[in-house]
Amino acid sequence: MAGTLTPERTAARLCELSGDARAAVLLDAAGSLAGHSDLERELARSLGELARGLFEAIDQAPRALGVDPPEQVEAQVEGGTVYASRTPSWTLAVVARRSALSSLMLCDLRAVLAELEGGPQIRRSVGAPTAGGDAVLDSPMPELGGEER
Amino acid sequence: MKEKRRGPMGRAAEMAEGVAAVMRRMQRDREPRVLVYDATGYARLLQPQARGYDGVLAASERMVRLVVEEEA
Repeated sequence: MAGTLTPERTAARLCELSGDARAAVLLDAAGSLAGHSDLERELARSLGELARGLFEAIDQAPRALGVDPPEQVEAQVEGGTVYASRTPSWTLAVVARRSALSSLMLCDLRAVLAELEGGPQIRRSVGAPTAGGDAVLDSPMPELGGEER
Repeated sequence: MKEKRRGPMGRAAEMAEGVAAVMRRMQRDREPRVLVYDATGYARLLQPQARGYDGVLAASERMVRLVVEEEA
């Protein structure tokens, strides 16, 4: 189902998708905080301001003539990695563990932003249920069956 | 093709080279690094002397520090 993700839920959604995501914030086109993961409001506001500064700094970086500004950034620093992705409407930034896989994290950022902008809902694959465990909730390939057990 | 060393000294030397390579890789992985990606996913390493590099690094370090402090 498309269009069910709200700006308020977007950052939390990213942290649900990726176990390596520690905190995330979403900014709107004006650079204002539009949502955040499970954080104190003051911390979220600080992260939002820093995320805005991140792209302001990126836009100062030289680039070849005719090349569009970068859409995503990855900054590896001591203690963690910051990933950020932007569209004309939104900027999503996440502080992740240093061990996070860049390609997966950047893919998750793009997917969550696409879902926010009305794209297809991200479908999560879950493990097979244990003997007394819960049923599989959502199969990434429903055409193969086995959604309900 | 690299000629294979023989004997215990040769094997010890190979092991030492392997350990040194791992240490070099670990050291490289710890160094700060900034990559930017365009719309097609093409990655470009931002050089430390490039304009904007310091700003990106400062903001990122502050973000990580804030989150680490919150988690502690």
